[in-house]
Amino acid sequence: MKTQHTSFYIISSLIMMLCALTSFSQTNPVPKDTAVYKQNYGLRIGGDIGKLVRSFLDDDYKGFEVNGDYRLTKKLYLAGELGIEEKTTSTDYLNTTANGSYFKAGVDYNSYVNWLDMENMIYGGFRVGVSAFSQTLNSYTVYNTDQYWNEQFTNSTSQEFKGLSAIWTELIFGIKVEVFNHLYVGLNGQLKVMITQDEPTNFANLYVPGFNKIYDSGRLGFGYGYNISYLIPIFKKNKVVVPEE
Amino acid sequence: MKKFSLLVILIILIGTSCERDDICAETTPTTPHLIIRFYDINEQDNTKQVRLLTVNGVDPEGNVLENIVTNQSTDSIVLPLRFQNENSVTASRFELKRDSDFDTDTNDNTFSNTDVIVVSYTPEFVYVSRACGYKSVFNDTQNTLILDSDNWVFSYEIINSTIDNENSAHIILYH
Repeated sequence: MKTQHTSFYIISSLIMMLCALTSFSQTNPVPKDTAVYKQNYGLRIGGDIGKLVRSFLDDDYKGFEVNGDYRLTKKLYLAGELGIEEKTTSTDYLNTTANGSYFKAGVDYNSYVNWLDMENMIYGGFRVGVSAFSQTLNSYTVYNTDQYWNEQFTNSTSQEFKGLSAIWTELIFGIKVEVFNHLYVGLNGQLKVMITQDEPTNFANLYVPGFNKIYDSGRLGFGYGYNISYLIPIFKKNKVVVPEE
Repeated sequence: MKKFSLLVILIILIGTSCERDDICAETTPTTPHLIIRFYDINEQDNTKQVRLLTVNGVDPEGNVLENIVTNQSTDSIVLPLRFQNENSVTASRFELKRDSDFDTDTNDNTFSNTDVIVVSYTPEFVYVSRACGYKSVFNDTQNTLILDSDNWVFSYEIINSTIDNENSAHIILYH
């Protein structure tokens, strides 16, 4: 009899506790003042002015890149770049020119919480890049530490390796700021990892268009971009802003 | 203001890019030397030192160049090889002088003994790296011992006809 009482007491107190928990989690939000802003969704198209400026200043470089992104959701953008590059690499013992085009596609994720109606970006993204290019070995000097015979040999017969390709992935980090209505300037840095590349016979790629410099030490590559782009608005979506307490 | 400061950062960052130094490390194997070891003609498994050896290169015009080895008692020498065009047979000529002091000492009855070897091979240029560029390796190595009235080198043996590293001897000379 006594044990029955005790068990009844335990069970009922458990039920009471569960009720208390559920009622706690069901606290209704207090209605707040909200503001609604129109957000532009559309296609943003631009070019890399960094590459353009470098083409004029650097005799060993010619390149241009067109880039674009399309806003999918509040924070997610479909993004891509299309470019051409010609770069002559000259070391003490080699002179070679890489020439070709590249295409990169991926997504950007905007991590910046904009004020009010602003539409700036501080973003991180991911790309897959492909390049089709050729390498021309303009000249080389055979490396010989011992110059006893005084016969340094230099080969100046140019040799072209055609039909090369490369595939890589990259992480991209950058900002885009709306400076005028629908006009953006941006800068970004890229960290690249080579997946596969065609190596010319008895030579190597020292530069791959889109991937940039290839280091002796490994698969990593680096890049940067300075862009100007224009947003073509296609539709607008409401952005509801709840003022913070 | 916020846009302006971002623009300033953008302008500062224009033109700054990182370049790593491209220097060919000394540890990277590049164009190899010819390595010759001296063995005993009587006990052919044993190396044998040459007493006070002096080695010179002789250029194609016949001029004797500066010493590669000077008055050293040694059982191995490391020699630079000539090369010009890829895939064309090239020869390097060396004078090996034993007992270098005998010509200069006061004893008129002793003489230094000079033997000449000609090493021929076919250079092949092999890509190494961005920093080092190309190196030359030497294929189909052959050795010729120029006979004179008094050779101190009796015979030779080619151990590696492809000279593409400096890890071990390529040619053995017996004396």
